[in-house]
Amino acid sequence: MTEKTTNSQPSPDKRLSQWLFNPFKFIAGFRALLLGVAIILLSAFFGWLGNTHFDGVIDVHTGLQGPLWFFCTEGLINWVCMAIPLFFFGLIVSHRSFRMIDVLGTQALARWPYLVTSLAMLPGANRRFAEYIMSRLGMGAAAVSINYVDMLIFAFAMLLSILMVIWMVTLMYRAYAVSCNIKGAKAIITFIIGLLSAEVLSKIVIIALLTNRFGANSTSF
Amino acid sequence: MKVLPTICPACSNQLKVKSLICLQCDTEIQGQYELSALASLNGDDQSFILEFMKASGSLKEMAKLLRLSYPTVRNRLDEIIERVKLAEKPEENSRKENL
Repeated sequence: MTEKTTNSQPSPDKRLSQWLFNPFKFIAGFRALLLGVAIILLSAFFGWLGNTHFDGVIDVHTGLQGPLWFFCTEGLINWVCMAIPLFFFGLIVSHRSFRMIDVLGTQALARWPYLVTSLAMLPGANRRFAEYIMSRLGMGAAAVSINYVDMLIFAFAMLLSILMVIWMVTLMYRAYAVSCNIKGAKAIITFIIGLLSAEVLSKIVIIALLTNRFGANSTSF
Repeated sequence: MKVLPTICPACSNQLKVKSLICLQCDTEIQGQYELSALASLNGDDQSFILEFMKASGSLKEMAKLLRLSYPTVRNRLDEIIERVKLAEKPEENSRKENL
């Protein structure tokens, strides 16, 4: 089947910006779900290599080593905790019909900036800097020496992580707006409430999982 | 072919049909006729509806055809439905006036 144009085709620049900031215009449903889950698991794998935990819907922390399954579970918990409240908000606010697979798929794919974060956190300099901070704060870590290169790498990783958080939240909002067909103030307000409730919910579930599997002394990274 | 204008360029109100002509015999009919709800849509929306009809009303087929995601196509259809409903309102009003 040939491609039809019932709308004026966007310029290549516009199409690129749409792929970057609203890829859900082009991809949703089962394809987005498969790709999104693969990205979540890949981020978890790199997180496991660099001891980077995504221990909340928008949280990134470096610290405790753990089994790979735990990093994967964190990623999946974050995704589900974000998608489920937004699905219910969509049911309440949107007067249109929409599919759960689109909400799940687009929210999974919206997490792709954290793949970049997990890669940025891979260098050992980040872990050394985190241990250095912990030792300076007297939080039990042994004294660690760092150099300027470590500091520069850590600063770059932090800056990139902040940008990726902003990017991911933007994508999550776009995913919600497209998959539930909600616009304007209603979309913004329900998204913020959904994000806050998802953050709390994901924290509770991850801490419960952590204490259940590793004991009461393992509740912080 | 020229695109039928539906909105007045001067005051942005909905245009009506004033005359129709047969190009075969030059018969011209004058009056004041409403545009149908579909005719009052813009060219892009009309093409979308036409393609949608050709795709047997399948949003999945439309998504493939336009290389857009399913919810994007569905949202576009919802927007057009809203516009058709808005365009139908003046017709309803005029029908009530005629009764």
